Order: sequence, then structure tokens, then C-alpha cells
Amino acid sequence: MSDKHDKHEHAPMVDEVSFFEILEVSVRELAIEKGLFSAEDHRRFTEFAETISPAPAARLVARSWLDPEFKKRALADGFKASREVGVDWLKPTGFGTPSDFCDLRVLEDTPKIKHVVVCTLCSCYPRPILGQSPEWYRTPNYRRRLVRWPRQVLAEFGLQLPPDVEVRVEDSNQKCRFMVMPMRPAGTEGWTEDQLAAIVTRDCMIGVALPHPDRKANAKRPLHLAKNPVHH
Amino acid sequence: MSADRTRPPVHVPKETRAAWESPDPTPITLLEKIRSEGRVWEDLAEQYGVTNPDPPWKTSLVGTCEALAEAECLGTLDRRASEDELSENLYQDLPYPERELVSLAHTMIRRGLIDEEELARRMEAVAKRLNS
Amino acid sequence: MIKRNHHVEKATGKGDPWCFKGEAGPAKFKVGDRVRIKDLPDIFYTRTQTYVRGAEGVVAVVTHESPAPEDESWDNTDKSEWFYIVRFRQKDLWPDYPDLYANDSLQTELSERWLEKA
Repeated sequence: MSDKHDKHEHAPMVDEVSFFEILEVSVRELAIEKGLFSAEDHRRFTEFAETISPAPAARLVARSWLDPEFKKRALADGFKASREVGVDWLKPTGFGTPSDFCDLRVLEDTPKIKHVVVCTLCSCYPRPILGQSPEWYRTPNYRRRLVRWPRQVLAEFGLQLPPDVEVRVEDSNQKCRFMVMPMRPAGTEGWTEDQLAAIVTRDCMIGVALPHPDRKANAKRPLHLAKNPVHH
Repeated sequence: MSADRTRPPVHVPKETRAAWESPDPTPITLLEKIRSEGRVWEDLAEQYGVTNPDPPWKTSLVGTCEALAEAECLGTLDRRASEDELSENLYQDLPYPERELVSLAHTMIRRGLIDEEELARRMEAVAKRLNS
Repeated sequence: MIKRNHHVEKATGKGDPWCFKGEAGPAKFKVGDRVRIKDLPDIFYTRTQTYVRGAEGVVAVVTHESPAPEDESWDNTDKSEWFYIVRFRQKDLWPDYPDLYANDSLQTELSERWLEKA
């Protein structure tokens, strides 16, 4: 029985068990039996993975565009402001996850500054509010090249910026996590928060795309292999 | 949700604090078999007309990675550095997340967290269970 | 690895790194200070990238207090230090960065031990 619709909560079924599925179960069961971690902890973190999505981050951006006071709060304290869009960075342990921690920083784009986020060391990403990171974000190709040739990498994403605009790369190498608040595009006058949130895509909040009134989905990205694999 | 939990005794030493070590890239027989014969989600989804971009075990894999980090058995940075290296040689043909899963298994075997033999035995048992 | 070197009891309800608030004492640097990144010997694990060693930049944000990632090597989880986001001109990091894009910058986060006054 297969579900043809994209539903995040509903795992579609294929009538075949792959070696990978078996491997995942086996590794997990062995780890639990050996006491590496408990079934309860695994369940907690799995549920976390199942509930995260970019929707709350999009809402944070949309609401900031409409409400200057909320915007101030979001820029001053990302951890606290996240609660207003339904995200509690303390979950699921009560003190955060080992990969995401609890210090969210929102980077505000201006006419003079364009932010873009990377983690050269291991692809840290603000998962509690932005969901799972895309594959291209995790590749050595993106991580090693964005810090060095940001405009080239952005051009590959279809984004070109005038020379006088400051392209500011944020390399998130410690406990802070970052998301970009892009500028509100023209052509959205009078829009509601819901309408605005719908055009703030994940890629806009990483910083490799700009929101556009006609675009609600991330563009498909080709993956490039890193040319000079070198350990960081 | 209470953060109280009973943590089972951890029988493995905490990972070494030494400078990051390259994972031993010598192929592991069991994983080579999986790599070459396993059906990846891209192919399965296409065959069965399923549009979910992720396999159903993806979130459980995330759960395992986080639980390992939280328990201090295998930290995120070390796991990802190992995955980067293995992704550039042994497992470069696998799509993500299969690559992430197999790299994890490889790293865990090389670090002595699990054993190849017992993993193979467990896979046989699980296969029987899931296919029955 | 960024180790979660806190006790569960200490961090629950507050979050990591907020649970270390107040432990580092006064911050040595403030926003706007010019700093240089020291090239400390990499005896053990570090999260300071090679590409910033020796570079000069400006403190953009004073973020939080936390044990430094290097301290986990010694199991020293009692000492916290301040962390800073430092902003660099790309031209100061990469010698061949085009003059045309002289405004471009890069920010990254470093703990206090890595910084000295420039």
C-alpha cells in the first residue's frame, strides 16, 4: 500500500524491505542492547526528527515583516522568540539536543548586507526551527567553498548580488545556530502572515535564495563533488 | 515531558580525546555487500510510486545519531568527519541518507561500539522478522 | 565534538549553553573591539578553523558563556569562558579575494582564549 501524497507524518509503504532498512533496525537494536543508549532516548530523538520542519522559521520571518516589535524580539533573543512560533529549543531532553543547543541567532538582511549560513566543520543547522538540513548543505563541496568563494557558490544557486552589497558568510562552528531573515520582496503589499510565510522557503533562511511572490518551493539543487577533498 | 530517565550502564569507554583520527577505510565485508546489493530509497520510491523523498527509517537514523551523541559514545563532529571521509571514497556511490547510515555503521564497527559478526547475525534475524 | 559537558540537573529547564550563565566572570572583549586570532597549538580537539588563525577582525557579538570545546580533552567541565562572534573582511582571510567585493565579510565564533587585542 503506498501513499502518493507527500505527508510528513505518514510513512509511505513500499512492498519491499531493503538491506538499508534492515541495517538501520539492526544497528539501533544492538546499540540499545549494549547499553549505548536507551530505547526511550532513541524514541525521544526520533520523535523530535519527525516533528521538525521549516514552517516555524518561515512564520518567524513573516511575522517580523509585519510586526516591528516582534522583529525586535526575534533579533534580540532567538531562543525566546522561537517560543512565540511554537518552538521550544529545550526539547526533547529539557536542555536541548546534542547537535542544536539553545542559542538561536536571527541574521537580518538589509539592502546593504546579505547573509548566508554554513558550518564548515560538520553542517550544524538550526533544526528545531528550520527542520532537517538539505543534502547539499552537508556536502564538503558547499562547506569548503562557501567561505572562500561565496559569490561563486551563490551564483550556482541562481543568486547574484551587486558588488557593493556586503555578502556576509556566517560559519556556525560553536553552539550558536543561525537562520537568515531575508528582506521582504516587492509585490507582497497587503499580504497576511500566512501568505508571507508561504514564500519564505528553507533556502531563503539558509541564505542561498531570495523570497519571491511567485515561489513557494525550494529549487532543485544539483550536487557537485568537491574537487579537492581535504580534511578541515 | 520529564527529562528524568534511567540511563542503562554504558559499557563502552568515552571516545578518545585525541586529535581526530581518520576512520580506517578498509572495506568491511558486510557493509560492502549492503552497498553493492542494497536497494536505495530513490529506486524503491520510483518503483512503487511513492513521493516521500525520505525513506521511512530516516528519522530513526537521526534518533540513533542524537542518542549516540547524547550518551557520549560518538559525538556529532567525529561522526560527521568520519562520514565525510568515507563518503569520498568507499561510499561515494551511495545516495544520502544511505551513505550516512552505512558510514555510521562503519564508524561504529571500527571504533568497537558494535561488532561486524553480531551485526550480520542481527541483520539475518531482523530480515526474517520483517519479511515474515 | 561539542560535548555537552553539563550535568543534566544543572541544564534542565535552562538549556545548554544558558546553564553556564554567570560562570565566566567579566568578558574580556566587547562589541567593536579589534582582535587577532591566536594560533594556539592544536594539542587536542578544537573548533577554531585553520583559515582564521592569525587573522584580525572585529567583535560583532558577545554570545554566551560555556566551557570551551578544547577543555573537554582534559575533562575540565568546570571552567567556562565567553564566546564571541568575530567579523573579518574576506580580503583579510583570502589574499586573492577580488577587490571588486571589498565589502564582503565572514563571521565565525571563537572562545576568549583564542582572542588577543589587535
